Amino acid sequence: VSLHKDSAVGVAAARAPFRRVLIANRGEIALRIIRACHAVGSEAVAVYSDADATARHVRAADAAVNIGPAPATQSYLRVDAIVDAARQSGADAVHPGYGFLSEQPALAEACTAAGIVFVGPSPATLAGLGDKLAARRTAAAIGVPTVPGLFEPLDLASEGWEGRLQAGAINIGFPLLVKAAAGGGGRGMRRVDAADDLAAGATSASREAAASFGDGSVYLERLVEDARHVEVQLLGDRSGSIVALGERDCSVQRRHQKLVEEAPAPGLSAAQRAELHELAIRIAGAVGLTNAATAEFLLAPTGEFWFLEVNARLQVEHGVTELVTGLDIVAEQLWIAAGRTLSPAVREAAAEATRPTRHAIEVRVSAEDPARQFAPTPGRITRWAEPAGEGIRVDSGVQAGSVVSPHYDPLLAKLLAVGPDRATALTRLQAAVKAFEAGGVQTTLPFHRWLLDQDDFRAARGLSTELVDRTWQPAPIVQEAALVAADLALKASLEPTPLPPASEPSAAAWWRAGIDAELEHRL
Amino acid sequence: VSGQAARRVDVRGPLELTVQLAADGARHDRASAAALVDRLPTVGGDAVQRFEVVVEGWRFEVSVEDVRHAELRERAARAARDHAPAGAARLHAQIPGRVTKVWVEAGQAVEAGERLLAVEAMKMENELRAPHAGRVEAVHVEPGQTVERNDPLVSLA
Repeated sequence: VSLHKDSAVGVAAARAPFRRVLIANRGEIALRIIRACHAVGSEAVAVYSDADATARHVRAADAAVNIGPAPATQSYLRVDAIVDAARQSGADAVHPGYGFLSEQPALAEACTAAGIVFVGPSPATLAGLGDKLAARRTAAAIGVPTVPGLFEPLDLASEGWEGRLQAGAINIGFPLLVKAAAGGGGRGMRRVDAADDLAAGATSASREAAASFGDGSVYLERLVEDARHVEVQLLGDRSGSIVALGERDCSVQRRHQKLVEEAPAPGLSAAQRAELHELAIRIAGAVGLTNAATAEFLLAPTGEFWFLEVNARLQVEHGVTELVTGLDIVAEQLWIAAGRTLSPAVREAAAEATRPTRHAIEVRVSAEDPARQFAPTPGRITRWAEPAGEGIRVDSGVQAGSVVSPHYDPLLAKLLAVGPDRATALTRLQAAVKAFEAGGVQTTLPFHRWLLDQDDFRAARGLSTELVDRTWQPAPIVQEAALVAADLALKASLEPTPLPPASEPSAAAWWRAGIDAELEHRL
Repeated sequence: VSGQAARRVDVRGPLELTVQLAADGARHDRASAAALVDRLPTVGGDAVQRFEVVVEGWRFEVSVEDVRHAELRERAARAARDHAPAGAARLHAQIPGRVTKVWVEAGQAVEAGERLLAVEAMKMENELRAPHAGRVEAVHVEPGQTVERNDPLVSLA
């Protein structure tokens, strides 16, 4: 499915899209973008905070610029520092990755003002999509089914807000969600099951939204129960052509954070895929999308798609789409930013997007404790061995000796598997998860071992964003593992010649005592 | 116990438990071949051996010591505690982060478990609570301040 317009933006074949690309990010995604830069013949410039001076992305780049202290607000979130670093290093383009400043119109504008190409949508598109209610209004105006609810923000400091809230809720019905008008990531969001709880839910969501985003206004949306999260990968060029490269199912989440993603979404018919891709392209066309974006939808058990939002950037989980289509999406982003029209390979992949012939699944390996509500586990990685094999890909940002800083996202690596069908991809992924060795910090690997062993997940039955909360019961699993650990340590303690110390003591103890009273409870 | 004293095995990690095992009593049949075992440096003498053990992705720090030694150590710790001034405590940051809220001020009386302050680390807000009832002697930080590991946060008397 694609939206074709006559191309007037022909660019003579160049050897590389840019001479030098600055990557305004860190970790695995910085390494991923460096790889794409090198693949198209561009140099890569890294930026780093004081905490990241020895990080892998710094060493993999052709040059690196320090942009400030460890807290992201003093480094990776500073537009001026990023643009200065680009100027100073002679970069002619900036790739923002995901997170940090990737969807901030301010960085795109500052780059343009400095004569540097921003690899992403235009500032106007970013601003239009960053306002979630504006995006909802746009989608509704062009006939894209949008989750029923309010389309204007409600200010809880205004006169008579409670009456307007109740009136809105009556039209929507319960259960519903109170959502922050600004921001995302599950913050400022409350489920409300009855009218009596509405005012309290709205007040609480508003307070959290004000604290997190500096804007306490909220809106209401129907809660679509048992829904799957399905999203469409989009690419658009400056001539106005926009294509869909297929969809991904990202239903395995907890608190709106994705844990596992796959492409294509299991169980959709070609007609459903065509319908979904067309909806996504229609929204992207309405906001003048260029470069890469992802349109997110809920898929109700009844088969309807409901538009949620557009993320106008590279997505964490873009890799599964790459494995299915054979494309290098980051490289395509660079060529599009340099003014090229969509490549023949992209058009070909788009033409086949409703009839995928491969299946890919990704698990996120994060420094989090799946037995303790996925609480972050910062510390030093003492052991790290990535799996390899047919159909296996690992995008990682760490190695043995890396420090997982509490200042940043705990994502360490993405482990992906591809095969001719879902069953093959699952088998390969399961073997790779078992072979992945990580020590020094607790990771999400044991959750993935469990998930990939579940009959329902293997059969793609009961996929829903509620799946993890409903079915993940770590207590008996971790208890058995603890008893095995006790046995193994006892056995090792009796061995006559101790091995030399493997590592300095790591930081599991950080999460004990004191600060984390909330998280600290024995199972 | 075939000549050897039992061992106290203390497991810390995603689940915490303490078990007493006969020195030759490890049930190796249960041990997983997929597990990783690394010896960790000992802390203050060789009486307590420490290991990192990763079992099917679950990571534990396990210490092993002779039960008799453990009992002596605990007796000594109890005696030291009995002679210490009751109730004094200085609470330190366990992880680096940013102080987001402070609910108490110097001079204030607090109940055991009462919220003292919140520190944000890795996008998560964590509340520090009073380990016992007492009076706040000093608050060493203010909202917005970045703290490093072991920085003093609150002194309780």
